[in-house]
Amino acid sequence: MAHYVLSRLGSTLLVLALSSVGIVALLRLVPGDPVAILAGADSTPESRAAIRAELGLDQPFWEQYAGWLHGLVTFDLGPSYRLGGDVGDLVAAGALNTVVLTAAALLLASVGALLASVLAVLLDRPWLTALLSAGNTVAVAVPTFAISLLLVLAFAVYLPVLPAGGAPPDGFASRPDLAVQYLLLPAIALALPAWATLTRFLTEALYTQLRAPYVTTARALGIPRRRIVLTQALPNALPSAVTVLGLQVGTLLGGAILIEAVFAWPGLGRLVEQGISARDYPVVQVLLLLSVAVFVLTQLASDLIHAWLDPRIRLKGAH
Amino acid sequence: MTSTPDLESREPLTPLREGPLPGDPTPEPTRHGLAHALRHGRGLVGVVLVGIVVALGLLAPLLAPYSPTEQIRDANLLSPSWQHWLGTDALNRDLLSRTLYAVRADLMVVFVAVPVGAVIGALLGLVTSWWAWTDVIAQRLFDVMLAFPALILGILVAAFVGPGLVTVGVVIVAIEIPVFGRLVRTSVRTVREMPFVEAAQVVGARPGWVMRRHIWPHTLEPLTVQLAVSMSVAVFIEGAMSFLGLGVRPPAPSLGSLIQDGVRLMYEAPYVALGPLVLVVALVLGLLLISQALTEARRV
Repeated sequence: MAHYVLSRLGSTLLVLALSSVGIVALLRLVPGDPVAILAGADSTPESRAAIRAELGLDQPFWEQYAGWLHGLVTFDLGPSYRLGGDVGDLVAAGALNTVVLTAAALLLASVGALLASVLAVLLDRPWLTALLSAGNTVAVAVPTFAISLLLVLAFAVYLPVLPAGGAPPDGFASRPDLAVQYLLLPAIALALPAWATLTRFLTEALYTQLRAPYVTTARALGIPRRRIVLTQALPNALPSAVTVLGLQVGTLLGGAILIEAVFAWPGLGRLVEQGISARDYPVVQVLLLLSVAVFVLTQLASDLIHAWLDPRIRLKGAH
Repeated sequence: MTSTPDLESREPLTPLREGPLPGDPTPEPTRHGLAHALRHGRGLVGVVLVGIVVALGLLAPLLAPYSPTEQIRDANLLSPSWQHWLGTDALNRDLLSRTLYAVRADLMVVFVAVPVGAVIGALLGLVTSWWAWTDVIAQRLFDVMLAFPALILGILVAAFVGPGLVTVGVVIVAIEIPVFGRLVRTSVRTVREMPFVEAAQVVGARPGWVMRRHIWPHTLEPLTVQLAVSMSVAVFIEGAMSFLGLGVRPPAPSLGSLIQDGVRLMYEAPYVALGPLVLVVALVLGLLLISQALTEARRV
């Protein structure tokens, strides 16, 4: 196990190192000079050279990279070029919004999936199953941006009960009721595909459990079906559903970029977009590395959990 | 003559059979090929749906009553009528013609970009997984590529070459390469442990021959299933990128850009998004049904 963990950690670090070099190099290759954008149209070569020196862009690539890495490790990323303010503050503010949105979507998706699948299995009615499967298909086959715009039209234009976009003006903590109103539509739009995947998976898992011999035994003992579903089948079906839920986290974070654009939600996705169009290297570099880090760390966690669950890997070298 | 039952010629009694008895050979489940799955049930529905959308796109020049970019005098935001089946948009263009031509942009993405990425990824995965050191390098590279969400990749590529259908294509190729590379690698790892591969190596087969003859045929089935899944995802990516202004450049239409136009006008002209939305759903649903049918056929 120790050997496996070490080798997985090593390859994760390798991927992070490779992509950090790749990211910094890639951004230097993007056409469009941040200095020219910063200095404006009527700048002199001298003023441009001064700005270049100030930003450290006149140094060789490896020194720029080393300086950035140093800033990353010491949590001092310096000021952004164009978006205003400290890079660390910008990223932290965006990350808070994105995490809140993703967490809300995750909550909606998991609670919704739990309710829908348990209800479907408990009632066991063909019409309910058909309805759920139709809802599933819609959630998977209709593009997310179309669904989110339809939601805006339905609940912000025709029935003006919820705000059409933007973040809660007073933050999340001071006015939780207002925050929920702003959060509801984007979170629903983001949650729908994950809800569909989870519901289908959990329903199937529950039915698989109900076919197991221990359920027959319980039925023979006279335990009502409802109690078997809730106290026996559900606890057995949940762990694998949690794994699927974990895989959805990455998908949700990726989907958040689109939802943030539709709902003008000031999260990391919007920051990437603004950062690249302004050629704001310090901001974009951190964001890209962050996105790679989230992905590889999720992978690492899922690999390690699977290794722990699989005794063939866990016990290797234990003797 | 009285008819006495002829007891002698009766067939010998056989025990009543209601199920398999101990010792019976277990019946082999009939395993139909993947092609069979596409001619029946769910798979057939999927093929028909995709077929209709493809036909509409290919026949667009014959079916479209107007040019997709032609601005028609006095035809601003008309509701559907015999003259304009799907109505006209805010720039006086016939929506039926725009929708039909828009299908072509999505067909390019689905049937050109996805297969190109799939072939490059599959070949890379096949060749690199044979030797340990190329395998390590390729898998780490695939990890890095997979780590970028599609839309971040889209924003990056657009920063290099500007928005356009080519940008969408490049993004989709870049997304599919690691997906197929990893998939092929998994099957190579499984197949190369099998006795017939060992036997081939013992009699002196070269790696290239073994790959072509033994490994490649075994990887084809999982690749086909993934291809259908990837194609449906590609429709969404095109839509999302056009929606963010990274996709086709106006006035050229794509299904994604038309839906965006339409939903923005949903209040005044709810019919604008209808046609493209129906076609996107048909295309994605068809591809999903195909992938489900193929997965089921493989499970038997």
